Amino acid sequence: MGADETYACLLAGRSGIGKMKYLKSKHTDLPVGEVPFSDEELRENLFIKEDASITRTSLLGACALREALVSASLFPRDKSWKMALVSGTTVGGMEKSELFYYDFLHTREKDEYIALHDCGACTDMIGQANPYGFEMMTTISTACSSAANAIILGANMLKLNRTDIVVVGGTECLSKFHLDGFNSLMILDHEPCRPFDKNRNGLNLGEGAAYLVMEREETACQRGISPLCKLSGYGNRCDAFHQTASSPDGEGAYLSMMDALAMAGLQPSDIDYINAHGTGTPNNDESEGHAMMRVFGDAVPPVSSTKSYTGHTTSASGGVEAAISILALIRGFIPANLNFSEKIDSLDFTPVTEVKQGVELHHVLTNSFGFGGNDSSCIFSKIS
Amino acid sequence: MEQLIEELKKEIIEVLNLEGMTPADIDENAPLFGEGLGLDSIDALELIVLMEKNYGIKLQNANEGKEIFKSVRVMAEYINAHRTK
Amino acid sequence: MSIYIQSASHISIQKPLSEAWMELPIVPDSAFMKSEEPDYKPFISPMEARRMGTLVKRALATSLDTLRKGGCEMPDAIISGTGLGCVEHTEKFLNAVIDNDEECLPPTSFMQSTHNTISSQIALRLKCHGYNSTYSHRGTSFDSALFDAFMQLSLGKIGTALVGAHDEMTPDYFLMLSKLDYWKMDFCHLGQLRKGEGRGSISGSCSLSMLLSSQKQENALCELKDVELIYRPGILQSRHAINEVLLRNNLSLKDIDAVVMGLSGDCDNDDVYHELKHHIFQNVPTLWYKQMFGEGFSSSSFGVYVGAVCLRVGRIPQHLFYFPEEAAMFQKEPRNILVYNHFQDRDHSIILLTK
Repeated sequence: MGADETYACLLAGRSGIGKMKYLKSKHTDLPVGEVPFSDEELRENLFIKEDASITRTSLLGACALREALVSASLFPRDKSWKMALVSGTTVGGMEKSELFYYDFLHTREKDEYIALHDCGACTDMIGQANPYGFEMMTTISTACSSAANAIILGANMLKLNRTDIVVVGGTECLSKFHLDGFNSLMILDHEPCRPFDKNRNGLNLGEGAAYLVMEREETACQRGISPLCKLSGYGNRCDAFHQTASSPDGEGAYLSMMDALAMAGLQPSDIDYINAHGTGTPNNDESEGHAMMRVFGDAVPPVSSTKSYTGHTTSASGGVEAAISILALIRGFIPANLNFSEKIDSLDFTPVTEVKQGVELHHVLTNSFGFGGNDSSCIFSKIS
Repeated sequence: MEQLIEELKKEIIEVLNLEGMTPADIDENAPLFGEGLGLDSIDALELIVLMEKNYGIKLQNANEGKEIFKSVRVMAEYINAHRTK
Repeated sequence: MSIYIQSASHISIQKPLSEAWMELPIVPDSAFMKSEEPDYKPFISPMEARRMGTLVKRALATSLDTLRKGGCEMPDAIISGTGLGCVEHTEKFLNAVIDNDEECLPPTSFMQSTHNTISSQIALRLKCHGYNSTYSHRGTSFDSALFDAFMQLSLGKIGTALVGAHDEMTPDYFLMLSKLDYWKMDFCHLGQLRKGEGRGSISGSCSLSMLLSSQKQENALCELKDVELIYRPGILQSRHAINEVLLRNNLSLKDIDAVVMGLSGDCDNDDVYHELKHHIFQNVPTLWYKQMFGEGFSSSSFGVYVGAVCLRVGRIPQHLFYFPEEAAMFQKEPRNILVYNHFQDRDHSIILLTK
């Protein structure tokens, strides 16, 4: 948990994927990227009372939100700035609903969790769990690109002066509903996932949360804060190919990367590292790979999928991977893509297999793609 | 075998929600995917669930379905050979 | 930059894909009102429809209908709001997880259960590669979608946007929410809602699509001047936000001909509106719409819809006035309508519409 620990794990090549401990699914043979803290431990961390009703998605979100606020010197809050929260989630409070569904329909025992089931309720709880007031909040639910789209909405709000500061990201906890759902699509690997490997056989489901604090340059200046980096471009496009599968040529992915580059005013060759969506499913990695080859030609920059460390944190992944991309940018390293051994036949490039330290990165591109072809890309750039 | 084919056709219509179709509309020798019935990868997953639920056949990999779901007849032959219920 | 609501189309407890509610509203007679379904055949082929739940069918029908009316073949963006997503398929999959002990689960239901299925199915149908997003923020899901579209149109990033609000109420979800006092289970006549005594309202499934455009066309409904979202404001901040919206648009409160509010008959919900009326909108006639379309996570969209249709027609029907005495006094052609909604006094939205 936290940026420093994440950094240490990425340097050491230590993956968080393993056997499930807190998720009570019968499919214990499926590896997962579980956050190694129980609900109780997360509550303690946040000083939330034992008997207060709260979902794990909200607990994870609240922990990440607090870290983001502290690191942006916004904890405790400075009331002179208008603040907004844009959070992404998909299954929301499902992890409790699936446990209490019988009660929801037949008893009065767990009624308080009915109101916590939906996505918006999770964002509301995250806001409340921090002794904090936001002037505006909303929730995005575009499956696995939710957090990336939160970044995009937040950036547009800043451009139009609709807020001074916006906290953007996403959160999602493991649930049987989600694990069984991906399993019913037969895209879960029974081994640790192998993004961009010829023999990849699916993803590992993960959980997590991550938030970024974004503001205009002049606000940061007035607050006396030196920003970590600049969001220089972003794109959101729809693949419009199939409800769950990506198109063979990665049209949506191609368009979203091109939009991000155009907005940033950059050439493909300016990108120093790509944090890929790279789920490890046969379909995603091939489609994303083709889209990258269309954008970058035969000069695809160093690529890795850090889902080999975190699992696929679905709605949170756009936030988690944005945070990792920013870490890479400011600490000058390229994380490795674990478990790779053989190139995909139809692709001309291979991912980075050993962590590279002491590299100077200027522009990092990160991809987040969701079911339904919801494809988004963001570019983070070093402030010169 | 012919009885199993009829049964399968009914089950396919039901599970894939092929509204307005009757077993007679499905040619047991025609391909299920692509041309023929025009089914796709999600339908293949539904058929895998059907085989497990109704005939106790568990496929580990969605790719195995490709051979089995060539036509209703091929599917029936596979079920006949591997069914556990 | 001017932004117009070009066209709109709905499926609700009123006559579907129609403005018949202006003259002859269907009067609800129970707390659980079913939507009137249109004939889907002109919009969706049986092969397409076989996997779709009710909500996606409604979303496709309203989307295609509003695009046709607005003379747009391909919008630059598709943005939907849905508080609960595709509940029908979510329940189907959840029940299967529980009943079958995590075995033999239906992939179609999982795939159709995610909230973004709606926007992506519309994109899939139109082959639209443009911006695509989904908001799921309880009672202001639609307002968030509208906010996103409004900002992108203002920034000139897009020229047209298909914005929707889609929620369905299944019997099980109705039952669960009834335990949280969402419904007046003994509802039988409208007077109960106007009185606003006790908790609860009536439920309605709401699907609404509207086409926004930065190019004005002949038959546009109205101009969308502003969208503002605020969280837990309190009356002072509400006043401040309303003033800011008016100021940004060179208007003052006396220019506002009517305010559309999400009055629903639930005492806690309505108290917030009564306070606003008392402190801010004392001299502005109050309109309501939930008596006609019901309460639900997408119902706020009907506030905007009702206001927009009144502006196009240039008249406000009597049955939309919350206070009969205001209806009797109102004679002018409306020019500016403010739509104010809130969800449980947490998320508030202010939307300004102009002829």
